[in-house]
Amino acid sequence: MKSRKHLAVFRYGLTALLLTGLTVTGQQTLDRSKIPPPGKPPALRVPEWTKSTLANGADLIVSEKHDLPLVSFTITIQGGTYQAETAARRGVAGITAAMMSEGTKTRDGEALSNALQLLGTTVNVNVGGESGSIGFQSTTAKFPQALDILADMLLNPSFPSEALERLRAQRLVALTQAKDQPTQIASRVFPRLVYGTAHPFGQNVTEETLKAITRDDVVSFHKAFFQPGRALVAVAGDVNGSTVKATIEKALSMWAKGGEKPAFTYPALPATHPTTIFLVDKPGAAQSTFVIGNPGPPRSTPDYYALQVMNTMLGGMFQSRLNANIREEKGYSYGVNSAFAFGKGPGAFRAGGDIVSAKSDAALVEFMKELRGIGGSRPVTDEELATAKDSLIQRLPGTFASVQNVNSAIVSLWTQGLPDTYYQQYAAKISDIRKEDVLRVASQYIDLDHLSIVIVGDRASIEAPLKASGIAPITLLDIEGNSK
Amino acid sequence: MRKQALLLLIVLFVCAGMVALPQARLSTIKIPFETYTLPNGLTVILAPDNATPTVAVNMWYHVGSKNEMPGRTGFAHLFEHVMFMGAGHTPYGIHDKLTEGVGGSNNGTTSNDRTTYFETVPSNYLEDALWLESDRMGFLLDTLDIAKLNAQRDVVKNERRQSYDNQPYGLADEIISSAVYPSNHPYSWSVIGSMKDLSAASVDDVKNFFRLYYAPNNAYLSIAGDFQVAQTKAWVAKYFGSIPRGKAITRPSALPVALEKETRLVFEDRVQVPRLYITWPTVGEKSDDRFALSVLDAITAGPRTTRLTKALVYDQQSATAVGTGQDSNEDAGVWNITITPRPGHSLTELETAADVLIEKLKSEGPTQEEIQRATAGLEFQFVSSLQSNLGKAMTLADGAGFHNNAGYFQTEYQKMLSVTPTDVKRVANKYLTKGRVVLSIVPMGKLDQASKPAESKPFKRAEQ
Repeated sequence: MKSRKHLAVFRYGLTALLLTGLTVTGQQTLDRSKIPPPGKPPALRVPEWTKSTLANGADLIVSEKHDLPLVSFTITIQGGTYQAETAARRGVAGITAAMMSEGTKTRDGEALSNALQLLGTTVNVNVGGESGSIGFQSTTAKFPQALDILADMLLNPSFPSEALERLRAQRLVALTQAKDQPTQIASRVFPRLVYGTAHPFGQNVTEETLKAITRDDVVSFHKAFFQPGRALVAVAGDVNGSTVKATIEKALSMWAKGGEKPAFTYPALPATHPTTIFLVDKPGAAQSTFVIGNPGPPRSTPDYYALQVMNTMLGGMFQSRLNANIREEKGYSYGVNSAFAFGKGPGAFRAGGDIVSAKSDAALVEFMKELRGIGGSRPVTDEELATAKDSLIQRLPGTFASVQNVNSAIVSLWTQGLPDTYYQQYAAKISDIRKEDVLRVASQYIDLDHLSIVIVGDRASIEAPLKASGIAPITLLDIEGNSK
Repeated sequence: MRKQALLLLIVLFVCAGMVALPQARLSTIKIPFETYTLPNGLTVILAPDNATPTVAVNMWYHVGSKNEMPGRTGFAHLFEHVMFMGAGHTPYGIHDKLTEGVGGSNNGTTSNDRTTYFETVPSNYLEDALWLESDRMGFLLDTLDIAKLNAQRDVVKNERRQSYDNQPYGLADEIISSAVYPSNHPYSWSVIGSMKDLSAASVDDVKNFFRLYYAPNNAYLSIAGDFQVAQTKAWVAKYFGSIPRGKAITRPSALPVALEKETRLVFEDRVQVPRLYITWPTVGEKSDDRFALSVLDAITAGPRTTRLTKALVYDQQSATAVGTGQDSNEDAGVWNITITPRPGHSLTELETAADVLIEKLKSEGPTQEEIQRATAGLEFQFVSSLQSNLGKAMTLADGAGFHNNAGYFQTEYQKMLSVTPTDVKRVANKYLTKGRVVLSIVPMGKLDQASKPAESKPFKRAEQ
């Protein structure tokens, strides 16, 4: 029953009149049961940018944005740990990145830290799987000084030995703590199973690799990795487009030519295995952490847009099939989702979440049902398809809010080799996706017969019910992913 | 919190809430806003800014876990979940469809003191967002039933498992709050509540709670982003104007506490590395001492030249990580230290080392340069927070709800920047006294790894 008793027409009319000064020509009863029709969609305003090349060969992109006195500056390097680390030295990239804050030829670690604190910024250095970066955000006024410090950290790091030992010790403790964390256990074990230890995606940082890293490894990594021939310098925000290039050239004048973009060749994937439950025992755990998936396609796949639409329906939103069923309807979890890790290599498709221990088997049944469903057993409705597309398309205008957003939106085109008109073309590409595309990519990229199902949980209470579910054979693993 | 993917927003919210703008720049950079109140008591804050074509709507209710009754802990947060289950004219699911389904987002958060519901939508969906928020404020009970409550009860129990019970060190805050505050103090229990109390919540509890606290006179509506002011005022009046004012609310007493002596506890957890927590009761949002306590935090841990970090992580190398913080609830707060040891260093050693450093700070006070370093980043943080419509909407509503002044962020900034070495020395001596709680979290069966194990009492969890 719709209750209307609170709808005093008088109060509504009077309030509107008093507060807005708008003329109330006729008093109407508000019909709250009608969804207000949306207004005209806002225009897509994609930031503009200019491209050029620095004297040392690095690409330069400048995007001006003057509504606030803020600047986002980054140097992005093509290639990451998968290209630049060896299996025996996993972790050297992270240690090198941290070591770049430990001092330069003219500033020790404390001097660097104090200078950056007084500028109200931090210079962040990160090396990810397929790219790395060094960058900062600052107010316009502090930009030149922060840039000079970044250049000093990039070009003149002193890499003190005592810092290496301290960072190594900290990372060893962090690794120990990661073994207490079900999510981190699952995120280490899953890639080992899917890609195998001969593939860089399947190789983890371990105590052994951390202990093997020497100062020479750090020096060599830095020298080989941070090279302008594979770099993009990007600045977004409140800068003067006609003078900022000279400022950057001057700050990076000692960064000598060299380096080239890596090839991103990966070894072949290991042979598939029939769908298997890999159970990692976490005695007494209140929840079971699930990761279910298989290798996926690279970002360059022509199926990218269909996959985005498909995954949005499956597990990309709150009301997507997985969360609507397993959280909202069944109450087995605080939240489940799914995603493709798109990159240059075969990034994984993963679905998962944390499930109350007693419902581990029931939740797995539902996960499998939804994975089968999106592949065809539960037809995609017109409304589902329309909502998924609307969600993806209408998200775009709001994504350029901050200087950091603008910077990363432009950089991601460069790292993935996408056209400058990518954002303008996006809506049309998503709109083109049809139900049959969704079905095709779901069946093609979610391989129901060869899934790895990693479950980290309390073996004593969940193994028997999982076995009884008959979904897949169970293999027991230790927390590193080795067979028990 | 309804969903888990909100860490970034919360961080932004904290930054925006804590800082404001240097005096010199206030004339050029600010949040232009206006505030007014509807006849039914709803406070409205409008902050137009068309830089990005989205609008953030933040509906702020002055109710949190401190308004709960003993035996019903966790109820305010459970109720937050129920608010997403549909209302009189807005069937379940339509809320997500008109936010996330059109490229926006939505979520809710519950603290000890307030509950917020917010959505960011493309600017052409503002009227829909107001329709959604007004329907659950006015008509939630029309469609409420036990099935909806039970469904979210299970979800919240899983939230508790995921964020507390199944999380290494996840119970630390709950244990500390129960030791800092007496058991009848509303800050002594956690926002998430106990499993037992969550099981006990009834539909009648939901109805009574809703009628008292979810009335327009207990609410603040802030809207920030790309919208027309006159049109928006008309919509606000149209959708919220007819919702009746609720009864007067008696707020619980949650005064700051002082501890006469040290309480020492040890808790066994499924961890491999022990950890030490030292907590002193301090002040909340309403006391200006929190500004000097925040600066004290900023000079004690963080960058490598802060005092505890420098000494323990860099010079003595006895810890891998050190953190400090002034956590301000509305009426009271705490100041705390967290230390993770390096292998071969005991919690006892670390507690003693930390005490020496704190005593030195208390007797000498900080230098002017330390204060400068601690506050130099505030301007950037503030200007940066202006890039988010949601961040702005949250900052304004917090000021209005807690200080009856949506522009309170400007006052806060002035007060942060005017903190002196003398102020920091004074609050360090006033609050960091022997009356404190020292908690050791140790691996199962390793009670001897506690700091001063002989003096530390094993903490037993109440029945869940």
